[in-house]
Amino acid sequence: MVIGIKNSLKLAGIAIMSFCAVFVCNLFLNFNLDLVRIESELTAEYQTIFYDAVTATGKVVASLSGGCLLLTSVVMLIFYIKQYIHSHSKELGILKALGYSNLKIAKEFWIFGISVFMGAIIGYFSSFLLMPMFYEKQNQEGILPEISINFNLILFLLLVILPSITFAFLSVAFAFVKLKRPVIKLLKEIPDIKIKKFTDKNTRSKKEASFLTELRKATLKSKKTLVFLIAFASFCFSSMMQMSFSMDELASEMFAVMIFMIGVVLSFTTLFLGISTVISANGKTIAMLKVEGYSTGQCEKAIFGGYRPIAYIGFAIGTAYQYVLLKIMVEVVFADFGETVDIPEYGFDIKAFIICLIAFALLYEIVMRYCSGKIRKCPIKQVMESGE
Amino acid sequence: MIKIENIVKSYGEKENKQTILKNISLEIKDGDLVVILGASGSGKSTLLNVVSGLERPDSGKISYGEKELTSLSDSELTDFRKNNIGFIFHQYYLLPNMTAEKNVKMGAELANNKDYGEIIEAVGLEEKKRKYPSELSGGEQQRVSIARALAKKPKVLFMDEPTGALDEKTGRSVLDYILRLHKEKNFTAVMVTHNANIAETANTIIKMQSGEIWEILSNESPKTAYEIGW
Ligand SMILES: Nc1ncnc2c1ncn2[C@@H]1O[C@H](COP(=O)(O)OP(=O)(O)OP(=O)(O)O)[C@@H](O)[C@H]1O
Ligand SMILES: [Mg+2]
Repeated sequence: MVIGIKNSLKLAGIAIMSFCAVFVCNLFLNFNLDLVRIESELTAEYQTIFYDAVTATGKVVASLSGGCLLLTSVVMLIFYIKQYIHSHSKELGILKALGYSNLKIAKEFWIFGISVFMGAIIGYFSSFLLMPMFYEKQNQEGILPEISINFNLILFLLLVILPSITFAFLSVAFAFVKLKRPVIKLLKEIPDIKIKKFTDKNTRSKKEASFLTELRKATLKSKKTLVFLIAFASFCFSSMMQMSFSMDELASEMFAVMIFMIGVVLSFTTLFLGISTVISANGKTIAMLKVEGYSTGQCEKAIFGGYRPIAYIGFAIGTAYQYVLLKIMVEVVFADFGETVDIPEYGFDIKAFIICLIAFALLYEIVMRYCSGKIRKCPIKQVMESGE
Repeated sequence: MIKIENIVKSYGEKENKQTILKNISLEIKDGDLVVILGASGSGKSTLLNVVSGLERPDSGKISYGEKELTSLSDSELTDFRKNNIGFIFHQYYLLPNMTAEKNVKMGAELANNKDYGEIIEAVGLEEKKRKYPSELSGGEQQRVSIARALAKKPKVLFMDEPTGALDEKTGRSVLDYILRLHKEKNFTAVMVTHNANIAETANTIIKMQSGEIWEILSNESPKTAYEIGW
């Protein structure tokens, strides 16, 4: 009917997220489960200590990256569905006007769960490719007896089937809630603007802001989920990058690389999704600004200018978050080993912070360049005609 | 004066190629009120878009006095629109998340016009200026878009069926307002319509038929918005 496979292909971002999440989680958890099989063979005390350490880190990494990616996927999915309903509100309005029930339309949204399934299943099986190397690396010193790779059905159910079903269900439920708008609002594409009583006082007491400043504020306000998404992308970038620096010293290179990769993938996909939606959602506004004669630079400022401070706030929160998290992790993971292992010192890494900040600033400006390229290309006529 | 020479514009590629404007030449005098009249699909809107610098022609020349539009870069073209051109479309194209007042301000700020409040009053929207476009009727939205175009103090005003989406009563009053303003401010106005009655209000009537100019008429005694049929 309305939604086809094509739409769910657009959810590549979510597929990539679930790919990463399942890939990493399966790597560590499959190893953990295979470890349990040889637990009885452990005799010496140093073996049990090592065993505990390895399982503990496995759990931390899996829950950390898995949790982070899961959260992002949920946010992205909700964001995407919202966007979908918003941009197809006329079609959906017509369906409702014809007499389709909310539930009947919402049911079609299960297809969004496919993106999760695709990513998850590919991630699950490709993690087996890396597994031999991973197992060997984890048991490099040969402290534990040989660990063989097994297929654990429970993980397949937990990492592939369960998330797919959950996401499909979530999509339907969320769409159902969102579709509960009056038909006429959908048909006329009336935006959800809360009419505030205090606007009057506000505009009178404050000095008149320029039109572009006001547009910037209105753009920010009209897409709150996007504000969250941008902040979250910066948060991920900042925390993951800085964490990977510390991981290199605290744990192993492997963790560092892995976390680094996840950080890059996460922040890039979220940022990218966010930005492209801003452009498509504001296509008409951009076209109209250009018709009237506002320059590309002015359009960019009005549409994207508001997000820059948000991004840096996200970065700051991410910095604090990774510091606290690592502090706790160092205490929890290494606390059990007592004197047997040297507890690494962990303090705030200024160098890592500065490098990440610079990298972040660069990345952000590059993405912004890309955006202004898009704005420049934004075809006035097509955009306006599609709006009829 | 706007001078249009041998404009050709087509859409599509290869077999699907369709020439919409077939070698059009004409001149528009400063301060004139020109109506482009023609059947649906005859290329009126396309001509308007090309002449106003929203779209580029495949070939031909458009000059505003000394300035040749076809030789400008994209950003120069934007700048040109900013300083010279106003637009009114029958689909209004208001910014949905800005109030009526802010929509007018969008035009006003480009011309450093601080008195846009007067224009809002003049189009009779003083009471509704804090409302969002979705809370306004079609006629009210069109008046906002007129106010936005005029707040820019354009030298040339382009209108694509400005009354196309309005009923007779609102249509007449909007048209009357445009005509009175044209007399008062003396800008050049180009209006597209398929309604022959509306054409009677113009000084010059350009009749179009399938991408070509069929006839150009001078009208010595233009009628007012309330004298024409609807
Ligand atoms: N972007 C486009 N791509 C392909 N063909 C187009 C495009 N825009 C317009 N056309 C074609 O150009 C022709 C003229 O269109 P135009 O909008 O100029 O007509 P019009 O005279 O304004 O008609 P109406 O009175 O219905 O608005 C039409 O046949 C239309 O199909
Ligand atoms: Mg037209």
